[in-house]
Amino acid sequence: MSTAALWARRYGALIRAAWLVDLQYRADIALWLLWGIIEPAVALGIWWSIASAAGGDVDGFTQLDFARYFFAVTLINQLTQAWDAWSIDHWVAEGEMNYRLARPLNPVHEAIADNLAYKARTGTIVLLVWLLAAWFWPIVRLPVHPRRWLLAAVAIVLGAAIRFFNGFAIGLLAFWTTRATSLIELQMALGVFLSGQIAPLDLLPHPVAVIAHYLWFPYVIAFPVSLLTGVGDSASSVAHGFIGQIVWLVVWWGAYRLVWRRGLVRYGAVGG
Amino acid sequence: MVPSVADAAEPRLELNTWAVLRALIRLSATLELQYPANFFASMFGTLFWLTMAVLTVALFYSHTTHLGGWSFWETVALLGVFNALVGVVEGVFRPGIGSLAEQIRHGSFDLVLTRPVDAQLYLTFRELDLWRIADFVLGLSLAGYAMHKLGRPLDAAHALAFFITFASAIAVLYSVWLALMCLAFWLVAIENLPTVFDALFEAARYPASAYPKALRLVFVYLLPVAWTTTIPASALVGRLSMLGVVESVGVGCAALLVSRLVWRAALRRYTSAGG
Repeated sequence: MSTAALWARRYGALIRAAWLVDLQYRADIALWLLWGIIEPAVALGIWWSIASAAGGDVDGFTQLDFARYFFAVTLINQLTQAWDAWSIDHWVAEGEMNYRLARPLNPVHEAIADNLAYKARTGTIVLLVWLLAAWFWPIVRLPVHPRRWLLAAVAIVLGAAIRFFNGFAIGLLAFWTTRATSLIELQMALGVFLSGQIAPLDLLPHPVAVIAHYLWFPYVIAFPVSLLTGVGDSASSVAHGFIGQIVWLVVWWGAYRLVWRRGLVRYGAVGG
Repeated sequence: MVPSVADAAEPRLELNTWAVLRALIRLSATLELQYPANFFASMFGTLFWLTMAVLTVALFYSHTTHLGGWSFWETVALLGVFNALVGVVEGVFRPGIGSLAEQIRHGSFDLVLTRPVDAQLYLTFRELDLWRIADFVLGLSLAGYAMHKLGRPLDAAHALAFFITFASAIAVLYSVWLALMCLAFWLVAIENLPTVFDALFEAARYPASAYPKALRLVFVYLLPVAWTTTIPASALVGRLSMLGVVESVGVGCAALLVSRLVWRAALRRYTSAGG
């Protein structure tokens, strides 16, 4: 069997297993999803009121821009979400890492398959909610623009990969500390501002926006959102966005490899 | 006079209730005091989240002067009330009534039912996360600081109105938790019922009037958790009439009554996890 066919079979089995596990927890997943929808809805509600009080727009963002922006944030946040740090913490604390290490397959592949299955399910639901909303509420309809949608799809995949390896690398710190999930929660709280979840980056105080652009956060959400909604899609900003995504993907993938190798040595030493 | 059998079977429940309550609180305190480091972790976490929340409000107010008619410091006062309520939710509701679903699934709820004390009372105060008092104290301190910034020292009337409406808000939140957790009697498979509350409570961070009409309909009227911060904060900053205070007491009592009825109905159909 060729290597590609072998990997296709492995991933097929892993995704199928993850899909079936999720099916058992479909009610729980729906509840998590509720959270993922209400948070941006609250932000949209507040900005909508502010824009309305200011006579229609906030620094050039109209109510229509806010509506499209936060619908896109909801979808892209869902598609790039990474809960892996919590599962790794659980694996290490409960001893479930041991049998995963005994398998002839790096556990990272199981985590990737979990993500694909979970996001296929939740992403579809968010997309359906968006389509339903667009049916009744024309202003959240996006202008049809296949080339931009294709670019957005690529940016979402890269953004999801950055967030995945970021979460996985920090989660693996569980080999050393029991507070790895606190660290990821801290990072998530900062990410709400720096990735553009609470407001478009242009509305943040200037120094904060500048700091954000030197970090990976905007490349996970703000950049794919700008591609999808078509705000700031000049050739240079698109190129800049993709270069930033690739740089940060390499950085966090490298961090994951480093922490994984060191962590295994340490884990073996403790358990052995 | 010889006591009847019925008297003997009722061993002074009135008195027991308070004794049980005191014992449960003492037990929780003893358990928690073993881990003083948790207090500092909780304190640090609260300070971090409060800072983030105030920064978010500051971000909104950097583009406007009023949000739904509320000024910046008024909204900060509301945020303080929100955080104090978070302390009650995390310290009492989540470890207590929030454990109902898990207890039903594991069968330990049957043991609760066999105890000679009201199951709802026991479950509510079964376990307290006392360190979360940090959220409560820091939240009220933030509200106090905001009042200072507003230049409105708290007089006795406003303090009393706040106290009453805050207690009503706790009653409403408790009722929502109880009713929500009662769903576990029907839907045993759901693990994350409290997540519904967490998601909806997010909307209570800001004044109810700050939302556009359509959302207000959902957050405020359909799912009335948003009121639980707006009403006490209104009383604090002097936006609530006497009538509003009285109404909040009525709503609080009604909520407790309805949730008690839901609880009784749920218990009646409970046949243990295996049944």
